Amino acid sequence: MRKLIKTVTESRVWRSFFRHGWPDNPLDRSLVMTTNIFFHLHPVKISRKSLRSSYSLGLGVISVIVFGILSFTGLLLMFYYVPSVERAYSYILLLQTRVPFGQLLRNMHRWGAHLMVIVVVLHMARVFYTGAYKPPREFNWVIGVVLLILTLAASFTGYLLPWDQLAYWAITVGTSVAAYEPLMGDSIRAILLGGSEVGQEALTRFYAFHILIIPGAIASLISLHLWRVRKDGGLAAQDAVKIEPEALQGTDNE
Amino acid sequence: MNENTESFSPQDRQMKTYSLVELVKGPTTMVDRGPDDSIFAFPMVAILEIFLTLGVILVLLLMSLTVNAPLEDLANLYETTDPAKAPWYFMGLQEMLEHGHPTLMAVAIPTLIVLFVIAIPYLDNSPAGAGIWFTSKRGKRIALFSALYALIVMPLYIYLDTSFPIREIYRGQLPDFFLNTVVPALLMVVIVLLPLLVLSRYKPSAREITMMLFTVLFTSAIIFTLVGFLFRGPGFELYWPWGMPEGYSPWDNL
Repeated sequence: MRKLIKTVTESRVWRSFFRHGWPDNPLDRSLVMTTNIFFHLHPVKISRKSLRSSYSLGLGVISVIVFGILSFTGLLLMFYYVPSVERAYSYILLLQTRVPFGQLLRNMHRWGAHLMVIVVVLHMARVFYTGAYKPPREFNWVIGVVLLILTLAASFTGYLLPWDQLAYWAITVGTSVAAYEPLMGDSIRAILLGGSEVGQEALTRFYAFHILIIPGAIASLISLHLWRVRKDGGLAAQDAVKIEPEALQGTDNE
Repeated sequence: MNENTESFSPQDRQMKTYSLVELVKGPTTMVDRGPDDSIFAFPMVAILEIFLTLGVILVLLLMSLTVNAPLEDLANLYETTDPAKAPWYFMGLQEMLEHGHPTLMAVAIPTLIVLFVIAIPYLDNSPAGAGIWFTSKRGKRIALFSALYALIVMPLYIYLDTSFPIREIYRGQLPDFFLNTVVPALLMVVIVLLPLLVLSRYKPSAREITMMLFTVLFTSAIIFTLVGFLFRGPGFELYWPWGMPEGYSPWDNL
């Protein structure tokens, strides 16, 4: 058995896949992180402080995970959904009653969407209260706020797609708020809806926004967000040094 | 120098080989950090992330197996739902609409809040105290006080403004702009800035001021969202969530 494992892991095929040996020593453990696309965003070594769950609560990672689940379930839903005023609703009914696990799929996408809004908001609160927006991380905070707004937009555009009473009137109410914008309120609403009322044009636009434009923007910004976390030295917990104001004042006299 | 060219001879050692170059404020790289407290990211980080992913999927799966996503009747342009509500995360905005002119309540104030949130790292740009929850004990007290303040004042404001609406009582006697825009704007400014006035007596740092402002606004946003989502029934009147008339349940709107 041991011989078989050795033959497999030393074969040219295996070596072409994995560019490191069995990760039981410092060198190979480093290579796992730097040569693997899923891990290369992480540092090779990480401080215990930033792993502490009471610090980050894992909220940033959970946001990415929920976004992944939403992308996957959303892709499956696209196999059955048609963005048409005449057919959208009946296809949702069909999905729920005829498609195996169709109802479960829709439930996961719906509850996942609500979960993502909650988790992203909590993540913002965590970053604020731990002061993790402070230099050099200022701009990553700004990217984070944009990601929060995009998350709301993704959820809002998806809300219309089932084309039931709930969806229709929620979007009617929601977009009427946009019309109160001074000067260009009406034109903003017209751009969103493709007309003066929520109809086929609005459904087409919301669909395009929901399945491609917004998720694409979110995915790109998440990459930028995570890349900057690394470039700025990991989580702020790593460079947390307790500085009481008294201590800072004390150095003046020396 | 003596003839001995060996660099670490006893004679050399007695000579002064160091000098004071400069006094620098702040901690050195090692002070207060202790020994290197980091571990290899592999396999710890991989294990944590896999478990977190499985956990999130499990939670979503359980939720999706027990509760179905809502689906009402086919959208109907001619039959308004009562109440017509936006998605839950915009219910704070819809609740705001009840208390003043739409351009003020749903456009101007939210825009100001978003701009403030984006500007936070540039308003409070001292790197001191990053990576520590609430930065200091005093910071924790300030956050707690601000949250309690908003928790008491905002529901009171919503209740009083709904039961004794100045705007309705003086309608026609005073100009509309004054009643719907000037009065609510002044009220909001006073409510939000009042705790800052108290704080200013204690020589607060930039971090503490932003913390108070953020906490008051964040808590208020949660309260407005909850009131709009849970406490508004048919006719958008205030009810207890468990005492809704006509079998209406706010949870059906999710």
